[in-house]
Amino acid sequence: MLEVKHLSKDFGGITVIRDLSFTVNAGERRVILGPNGAGKTTLFHLLTGVEKASSGSISFAGKNISKMNAVERARVGIARSYQKNNLFEHLTIRENLMLAAAAATGKSRWFFRDVINQADMKTRIEETAEQVALTDQLDLMVSAVSYGNRRQLEVGLALATKPALLLMDEPTSGVGPAMIDTFHQLLETLPRDITILIIEHDMDLAFSIADRITVLNFGEKVFEGTPEDTRGNPTVRQIYLGGGDGTYGATNDHA
Amino acid sequence: MFYQTRLRTITLILALGFLAVYASFGSYFAREIVIEITILAILAISLDFCAGFGGMVSLCHGAIMGISAYAFSIMSVKLGLPSVPSAMIGLMAAVVFSGLVGWVTARTSGIFFIMATLAFGQMAYTFFFKSRWLGGDDGMGGIDRFNLSWLGVDMNDALVFALFGVAVLLLVYVIAAILLRSGFGRILSGIHSNENRMQAVGINTANHKAMAMAASGLMAGIAGILAAQHTLYISPELLIWTVSGEVLLVVILGGIGTLIGPVVGAIMLVMLKHELSNYTDYWHMVVGMVLIFAVLAGGRGIFGQIEYWLITRHSPKTPHLPPAKEKDLA
Repeated sequence: MLEVKHLSKDFGGITVIRDLSFTVNAGERRVILGPNGAGKTTLFHLLTGVEKASSGSISFAGKNISKMNAVERARVGIARSYQKNNLFEHLTIRENLMLAAAAATGKSRWFFRDVINQADMKTRIEETAEQVALTDQLDLMVSAVSYGNRRQLEVGLALATKPALLLMDEPTSGVGPAMIDTFHQLLETLPRDITILIIEHDMDLAFSIADRITVLNFGEKVFEGTPEDTRGNPTVRQIYLGGGDGTYGATNDHA
Repeated sequence: MFYQTRLRTITLILALGFLAVYASFGSYFAREIVIEITILAILAISLDFCAGFGGMVSLCHGAIMGISAYAFSIMSVKLGLPSVPSAMIGLMAAVVFSGLVGWVTARTSGIFFIMATLAFGQMAYTFFFKSRWLGGDDGMGGIDRFNLSWLGVDMNDALVFALFGVAVLLLVYVIAAILLRSGFGRILSGIHSNENRMQAVGINTANHKAMAMAASGLMAGIAGILAAQHTLYISPELLIWTVSGEVLLVVILGGIGTLIGPVVGAIMLVMLKHELSNYTDYWHMVVGMVLIFAVLAGGRGIFGQIEYWLITRHSPKTPHLPPAKEKDLA
């Protein structure tokens, strides 16, 4: 489904992603772990084409997409939700979802017909709203709903495009425990025809939904495996808990 | 995001009705005022389309109007084409020019977009000002109005022409409203709200904005043909940037992003101008004060502010017109 080979990215002299390779299978839930500055969000920028990789290649559904720009990649079915809310402000939640759905279905070239009340769109908007638990808030302005609802809409905008690959950048960032449960449920009920890459800091959530976990540190893949293996891995423990034995410091010179 | 609400429909009917009645029962001078209003209102709708709904505050709409007027006049006066095909070519010239401006400037925004459009407008102005073949700053005359004698009406009659202007204004409003309610218009509003996110869901926003500018150019072009047929004479004055500035003033005065607001603004500005100039040469100062008041009162403009009061009276938390209230244009 998604194949990343020898991907690197430098900004000036600083290498943010270094020779990164991994493969994600169709339908998989892959969690990306790593401390702040590990290059997780940059990886998403590279996958969505917002940033161009310095070297390496990205294949999606058997096609090399390395040369495609962000718009083309969105059109082949890669959608993303953002760590910081990136919504259509001053519009309602229904209008937000409508915009994403209309964009994904080529309705930006409808010059005469409205799309808000069109039957297919209506179903799609309502389906997506149900997925992200926003059915009751559909006709409220984005500015009138809670921060948690906005986080749900953030994912909803990506889902409304019916993506094949969904990249979620910390969907639970800044929300409370009750809302984390909502996201947990959402992730478990999403159909398996969507492949998901998710950056998540809530460990319970991450370990319970992941099929596999990839751990990044200083732009490099330091570990990849099942949640159980990850939990038991000494390198991962060290990165997250800090090791006093100096073994980790030996690899720290990348910084 | 645009909705043709009942309030807007009522305002449109009242505004057009007022213009038709004022022209029908007024003097020759009143009819001239009505046609002046319709031209300004069409141009203001055109600007509101791209500025109010697409975030593209253009300072070259006067130039787009002028290019259409010149292309129309060149075809009919210099090349002797009938007026309808000439008008088509005039509109095409406006669409091509504004589409080109949109295409070049689509990657800029804010003050840079404004300056770039100003530069394009000034280039067009200079071109016509310097062109000897087109009469330079003397302009050119000899223009004919559409021949509607098959309908039994004489377009050279001031009343007929004023009513024709009102009908064209209605047509342009309907074109703009349909475009804004379509998938194309919705996405344009989305770009205005968050261009970055619109790209992330697969929209080539630069192309979309260029197309919106072209559509806006079509409407400005219609104003240009009407302007040329009104005075039967055109000069580079149509393209001066202050024309674009005045249109922007009308849009803000009436209510940017409301579509009907610009029509209200055009009526107010022209009426104020003519009424006040009876009393003082400093009528600009009064208009300026009205504008400052309109901006300080929330920047919604006159129609926008009234609409806002009426909506927030019912639902203070959502300053937005729910789609359920929408009446179809048909």
